[in-house]
This record gives sequence, structure tokens and C-alpha cells, in this order.
Amino acid sequence: MTTFIDYLLGGVSSGAIIALMALAIVLIWRSTRVVNFAQVGQAMFTTYVALTVRDATGNWIIALLAAIAAGAVLGLVVHWLVIRPVKRVDTSGAIIATFGVLISLQALAGMLWGGDTRGYAPPVSNDGIQLAGRIWPFSWYDVLVIGVTIALVIGLTLLFTRTNIGLAMRASAFNPEVARLSGVRVSRSLAYGWILAGMVGAIAGVLVAPTSQVSPNSFDILLVFAFTAAVIGGLDSLVGAVTFGIGTGLVISLVSGYSDSSNAPVVALVLLALNLLLKPDGVFGHHHSRAV
Amino acid sequence: MHKLMMLPGSRLVQHAAIALAIWVALTRLNQSVDPLLSYYLALVGMYATAMFGMTILVGLSGQVSLGNGALMAVGGYAFALTSLNWKTVPILGLPWNAVWSVVFAGIFGILVGLVIGGLAARLKGPYLAGLTLGVAVGVPAIANRFPGLFGGENGLMLTVPYPQGGYDASAVDTGPADTGADAIPTEAPDLPTEQAPIGGESLAPSDLLTVDDLGGAVSSAAPSVAPSDLITPDDLMGATGAPIASMPAEPSALASAGTDLGSTASGGVDAGSVDVSAVGGLILEQWQATLSITMACIMGFVALNLVRSRQGRTWQAVRDDSIAAAVSGINPSRSKVSAFVVSSLFAALAGAVFAQLLTYVGPGAYGLGLSLSLLVGIVLGGRASLLGAIIGAVLLVWLPVVVDRLSADRGWPEPVTNNAPNLLYGLLVVLVVLLAPGGITGTIRQSLAPVLRRRD
Amino acid sequence: MLTVSELSVSYGAVRALANVSLTVPPGEVTAVIGANGAGKSTLMRTLAGLVRPAAGSATLDGQPITGRKAEDIVRMGLALVPEGRSTIPDLTVEENLRLGGLWRNRSDRAASQAEVFDLFPILGQRRHLRADTLSGGERQQLAIGRALMAKPRCLLLDEPSLGLAPLIVTQILELVSGLARNSGLAVLLVEQNAVTALRVATTGIVLNLGEIVQTGPAADIASDEQLRHAYLGY
Ligand SMILES: Nc1ncnc2c1ncn2[C@@H]1O[C@H](COP(=O)(O)OP(=O)(O)OP(=O)(O)O)[C@@H](O)[C@H]1O
Ligand SMILES: [Mg+2]
Repeated sequence: MTTFIDYLLGGVSSGAIIALMALAIVLIWRSTRVVNFAQVGQAMFTTYVALTVRDATGNWIIALLAAIAAGAVLGLVVHWLVIRPVKRVDTSGAIIATFGVLISLQALAGMLWGGDTRGYAPPVSNDGIQLAGRIWPFSWYDVLVIGVTIALVIGLTLLFTRTNIGLAMRASAFNPEVARLSGVRVSRSLAYGWILAGMVGAIAGVLVAPTSQVSPNSFDILLVFAFTAAVIGGLDSLVGAVTFGIGTGLVISLVSGYSDSSNAPVVALVLLALNLLLKPDGVFGHHHSRAV
Repeated sequence: MHKLMMLPGSRLVQHAAIALAIWVALTRLNQSVDPLLSYYLALVGMYATAMFGMTILVGLSGQVSLGNGALMAVGGYAFALTSLNWKTVPILGLPWNAVWSVVFAGIFGILVGLVIGGLAARLKGPYLAGLTLGVAVGVPAIANRFPGLFGGENGLMLTVPYPQGGYDASAVDTGPADTGADAIPTEAPDLPTEQAPIGGESLAPSDLLTVDDLGGAVSSAAPSVAPSDLITPDDLMGATGAPIASMPAEPSALASAGTDLGSTASGGVDAGSVDVSAVGGLILEQWQATLSITMACIMGFVALNLVRSRQGRTWQAVRDDSIAAAVSGINPSRSKVSAFVVSSLFAALAGAVFAQLLTYVGPGAYGLGLSLSLLVGIVLGGRASLLGAIIGAVLLVWLPVVVDRLSADRGWPEPVTNNAPNLLYGLLVVLVVLLAPGGITGTIRQSLAPVLRRRD
Repeated sequence: MLTVSELSVSYGAVRALANVSLTVPPGEVTAVIGANGAGKSTLMRTLAGLVRPAAGSATLDGQPITGRKAEDIVRMGLALVPEGRSTIPDLTVEENLRLGGLWRNRSDRAASQAEVFDLFPILGQRRHLRADTLSGGERQQLAIGRALMAKPRCLLLDEPSLGLAPLIVTQILELVSGLARNSGLAVLLVEQNAVTALRVATTGIVLNLGEIVQTGPAADIASDEQLRHAYLGY
């Protein structure tokens, strides 16, 4: 029983990171009806930016802010240069183009920063907290990760429900024509979605870096986990993305704990396949059919 | 497959002639005794085989899949495991030979393709891409899960099936008096067994042979001997011990050569650096190229027939408008599954060839990078064109070579050299999708269209 | 005053509007009637900036609107309620209304919202509910309310009667024509249901196959039997 709880605890913070990545995917899907398979590539790239800034300044927060800024710029660039023009052509093209961006970013990162795996020291201890006579599989860094995730989710919720920009983004996502007829500059709202997703992804990248190391390909598996969570959550739902992001983290932690961590990708695949088979619209998804 | 029968006989002959002509030309090219060239030919053949399947799946049927690299792994592992472990054919009790391994690679490919395709047919666009992405990442991970069976991270070493005795430089000059050639008449394998899908066609390897009057022992003996002797690991060890050792010497380097996209991190990848001269016989690469070219030509023939059959038009009809297709009596999901299964067969056979080229199967060789490579190749060449698949295959092999050469001339630092091809691929994919969705072949066809029309 | 002159629209080879000219004066309802496919929605969508005209122009109080973006045209004072209850079901009533005047400052918006709630009290009662919980009639009121939130000088209504009970349609149209009279709003109403439309309208325009075949006082058109038989099919 204690091991079970330990495994669960161990999965919460990785689940939080998966949740953030899934959030980024959902943000873009909601606004643009594109699954951005380059999302982890962007996050990987901005994490390298953070790494560079951190080497220069030694400051974790400044590095995080730099990554967020880079994420915003990268999101905007990908949207304007690639997705906006492609969307008019075809949907297969949009999917393929995001993979083109992923490949380019990974190669560019390899060029700029080399292919070696780099470590990323956490700002606070990543060792288990000692409490009540035992060491828990839970560190102050996990607390930080979860805290940041919660803050972000609250912030996004407020943005979407309380602000004009948030309302414009939601309207643009649900019905671009009515949004335009209401005076909303829809293409700008879509761009905000990409910027926001880029920023959220950048935060996820910096947060995951201490546990997964940084290399051009080291986030690939995160893409699979995040996509799984986003799809199970319905692709449209921020709540769904967070819930199932954490859920996916817990399941993976349990499976890795009781068997072997190399099972994780297979588990994600099975979860994804089962979900798509049983519930073609996700758990939180509604209205929109999968025929997009 | 009954629909295939409706292809007029003249079409079949025409397609066979095309495939045969290409086969003859490539075989001749392969005779240049430049191991590097042969090695590239082998890679091109392997990629082309897999990408013919992509033409059908992505191009005709409109399903963007990232799983075909994983399906190649299925073929590669099936090939490796059956040839390493089975001495006789189960049920039939026949003595094992390498053709059976190829057949089983194909069968496993079809089975796994049925499972994934059955799931995938219900999905569209990003859901399908995401599921197959999961397949691309998840399936190779299975190898790690069962290290006892699949060899784990290190994979499984294979020996290259050599026709005995025929493969040193001198054999090229001395002609067909080698032991391998003896096998031709008696053991000429019935290759068409794995071509069941093309029904009724009669292009057996022996036919290829008789046409082949190129004279060289390698060229004539190779395609026929290849299947029969493909893998008999036991006697291979003895018969061709020295040359074989050369290839597994650097399986990882070769693996990354084949899966450039997955290995941005890896060190210098240069097929040329494999020191073949130390081995004495340069011919290993020629032999591998022969296998690969032969497979590509046979499967190219199959693909050509499929694409131009009624089934080909059915796939396109479902891609363009599945509702309209359903109204006109087509079952859209069956059409999608069949495209998936066919492309899985192609991928698995390519995977078997790939195992041959690397003399190794391992999760690293069949990773996400390989799947992405196939997608890149098909998009650049032209999504809905078999010629595009071939051009894409050539690009996948040729571009890194060019970059290497440039890098050597200009003295680029290593990270730049290693990543330049992928950066080019990524940017080209984006540009092609934006500016020329038809890829190279589509764009050429489009620009030629007015000219051709005027001639009518 | 909305002035349309010589407007033509094509969808590829299909010509949907041919040389349409009309004016919509303030303070009254102008009704465009015509059978299915006559080009009524095309006219509305073109004026609102969703469709680009092939030729011709339109001005709102002298300012050209053709060639501008939809999101700018609504800010200039021309609001469209498109065909088929154009609310966003995932948003609440209040959010739908807020959306309609998002670019305006908070106090202007509050004033407009109060006016909308005056006009359609039911919306005030349902302000916190999601739009997809409303009835068809309520949703049409919300759609009109959303357009009014832009404080338009010209309101375009595309077939508000679609799928609604005649009584509700009449009620809604009476409210709108009252609004036009009282506040000087110019209303362009498009309807297949000619009887209801001509009852509230001052001027009637008959559109057939993209061309205007008749313009005149609404009462005259309503009583012109020949016209009815030829173009309206009843
Ligand atoms: N997006 C489009 N593409 C091509 N043709 C169109 C498009 N929209 C409308 N049309 C055509 O233009 C013509 C006019 O259509 P429109 O929708 O304006 O008619 P309408 O008078 O509003 O009809 P209804 O009473 O059915 O709403 C029709 O022939 C229609 O088929
Ligand atoms: Mg209409």
C-alpha cells in the first residue's frame, strides 16, 4: 500500500507537466483546429534558450522568463509563417507541416547546441522530502512544478472567462464567422492562441528539463503522453487536458513502478487506442465530431 | 483482390516491362563495384519499397501515418526472429530458408497492419496522425520490454546471407562458376508466394533471370540465389565468415545512416567510412543492393498495378469524399483499412530488407526518425505518385551525401554537418506543403499539363 | 442610410447577384423577399463583408463599406444577424451579448446591454445560462441582441423567421420595427415568408435569380397577385 501511494505521489508532478503540454496542444486545437505536433519541438528549443540564459546569468527565473518569451515568439512565427498559409490549402498539409517544423527545430537545436544530452539543475532540491520518519517520493521541486501548474491553470481560466481577449479567443474558436460579425479580429485571436500555447509549452519544457535532461529528441515521448492526455480529455477542453494529463502521469508512474519504465510509451499507446476505440470524442469532448 | 484481375493483360505486361527495365538498369548500375554506390542503391531500394506503401496510404487513401517506421520494425524483427530461431517452417515442416523469413515478415506486417488499420480507419486527420505517432514511439519500445526475445536496446545481430563463395572481387571477373549459382535451377524459390495480392501475375525471379544477359556472375546469380540462400545462419558463419564481420562492425553507425531524422544527436554518419577494403570483398554491398533492388522492383510492380486498378480509384474516391463514395456503394472504412494493410505489407518487407542492410535489428534503427523519414520522402517526392516515392527515396539517401561533401569542402563543424540534412528536410517539407503540395512530381506534372494538353 | 449600387456577386461561374441597387433609409424596415436561392443571403453577407463582390459598391451614410473586412464594417455601424440563429452555444447569454460589442468601452456596452434587456426581457432573466439552453425564439432574440450590442445604424436580418412559430416571428419583428421607428435604425430584412415581412416593412423589394424585379411600397407588393404568383410561389 505504501508503495502504491509512493508511485502515485511520484506521478503527480510528471502528470502536471504532461498536463501543461496537453494544455498547449488544446489551446491551439481550440483556436485553429490544428494539432501542433511541433509543440514539444518548440518546448525543446525554448528550453535550450533557457539553458543558455541560465548558463549566462545563473538565475532560474530569468531563464524561465527568457524561455517564455522565446516560446511566445516561436508560437507566433510558426503560426504566421506556416499554419496560417497552410490552413487554406489542406488539413493533411497542416499536419504534415507541423512535423516539418518539428524536424527543422530539432535539427536547428542540434546545430546550435550540439547533440549531447545536457543536464538542467533544478532551482530547489529534487530529493525526496524527509517527513515523519521517512523519505517521501516527493521533492520541493515537485511542489514547485505543481504550484506553477496550478497557478497557470487558474490564470488561464481567468483569462478565458474574465477578459475580453479570452472571450474573443473562445468566440473565434467556436464560431469564427459570428466572431468576425461581432467585430473580433479573428486571425489575431488565433495568433494569441499560438502565442499562449508557445508560452505554456515553454514553461512545461523548463519544468521537465531537470527530470528528463535536454537533447534535441528528449521530449519526443512527452509529445505522445501529452497528445494522449489531450485526446482523452476531448482536445477541446482545458479541464480535460489537465485532468487527464495528471491521470496519464499517475498511470505511467504506477506502471513504471510495478513493472518497468520502458513500458511507459506502450501504456500511452494502449490508453490512446482504447480511448479512440471506445469513445471517439474523448471524455470531455462534445458538439464537435472527430470529422475535422 | 479480384478487382485487380480487371486490369487488362496488356497493362500487366506494360507494368512488368517497366519494373523489369528498372531492375535491369539498376542491376547494371550495381555492377560498378563501387561499394558506396551499391550501399546507396540498397538504401534507396529499401526506402522506395516502404514509400510505395506510403504513396498508397498517405497519397491515395489520404491517411497521414507516422507508424510505417514501426511497421518496418515489425517486418525486420519478424525476419530476424524467424531466421534466427526456426529451422523448419511451422505446420508445413519444410526446411527453412530465407524466403520464408521474408514471407513471414510480410504476414506479420499484414496482421499488425490489420490491427492498427482497424483502429485508424475510424479516425481522421490529427487523431490518426497522433495514434500512429504513438505506434511509432510505442512499438519499438516493445523491443525493450522483452529483451530476451527481441534483444532489448541492443537489438539482434544478423548474419548476411551470402551465396557461398561467389562474393569476392574476383568472382565478378570469373563468371558464373560459383557454388551459389548451382542453386538456381533446383532451389529457385517460388517468390510469387508472397505476391499473392497481385494475383495471377507471372513475374517470377526466374523470368527476371532469363532476361538478364548482362553476363556478370553477380548480376545473374544474385537475384535467384538471394531468396534461396537468404539466411542460413549456421553455414553462413563458416562460408563467409570474414566479409560478414565487416558489416556488423558498425551497425549503429549504419543504423543512424538509415534513420537520419532520429539521430540529430549522433556522431558523424557516413556510409563511406565503413572500411570495406579491409574485408577483401567489396561485394557485400552489391549483394545487399541486389536484394533491395529486387524487392523494390517487385513491390513497385505490385504497387503500380494496385494504383492503377479499381482499388486505386476506390482509395482516392474515399479520400476525396467519403460520403459520396459511400453513397456510390463503396465501404469507406474497408477501403481505409485495406490501404493500411497494403502499406503495412510494403513497410514490413522494406523492414526485412533494412534488417539485411544493417545486419541488425534494434529499436534505435526503427524509431520515430525512420517514420518521419518516410513521411518526408513521400511529401517531397509527391504524395500520390509512385515515381514521387522513388524520387523521395533518392532524396533521402542523396541529400546527406551532398551535405557531407559540402561539409568536407567547406570545413563545417560537426553539429552543422550532422543536422543540415534534417534541417533541409524539415524546411523543404514546410515549403512543399505551402507552395507545391504535389511535391516534385506533382509540380512537374502540373507545369507540363498545359504542354501536354496542347498536343492533344 | 445604406445605399447599394450595381452590386454583383459570383461564386465561381455561378452569378448570385446581378446589378442590385437599393437604399435602406433610417427609421424604417426595408424587406427583400424572394424564393430559395434568389440571392438574399448573398446580398446580406456581401454587405456585411463576408463575401467579396465582383462589381458595384455600397455605402453607409456616405462611407464606402465594400472591400472592407467584416470586423471593420460592424465597427462602422452595420451589423448582420446571419441566417439560422447565430449565437455561440458554448457561451452564456451575457457573454454572447458582450461579444457583440467587445471593442466598445465598458459603459457604452453596459448601456447597450440595458437597452437589449429592455427590448427582450427574457434575455435578462436568462443572462447566466448557456445559449444552448435557450429556446429557438429566445436564441433568435439573443442573436438580434448580439447585433444590437454594436449600436449599429443599420441592422441586417437574414430570415429571422426560419423554424420559428409565426406568432413569435411577428412579435420579434414588431419589436424590431418599433426600434427602427424610435431610434432611427435602418433595417434591411430578408425573408422568404413574404406576408410577415411585408406587414412590418415600409418598402418591399422582390429579388429573383439575383436580380431585382420589383421595388415599391410594401403594401403594394403584398397585394400584387401577379408578382406573388410569378416570384413568390403562393
Ligand atoms: N458559398 C457558395 N458557393 C457557391 N454557390 C453559392 C454559395 N452560397 C450560395 N450559393 C448559390 O448562390 C445562389 C444564391 O444563394 P443564397 O444563399 O444567396 O440564396 P437565398 O436567397 O438566401 O436562399 P434561401 O432562401 O434558401 O436562404 C444559390 O444558387 C446558391 O446555390
Ligand atoms: Mg438565405
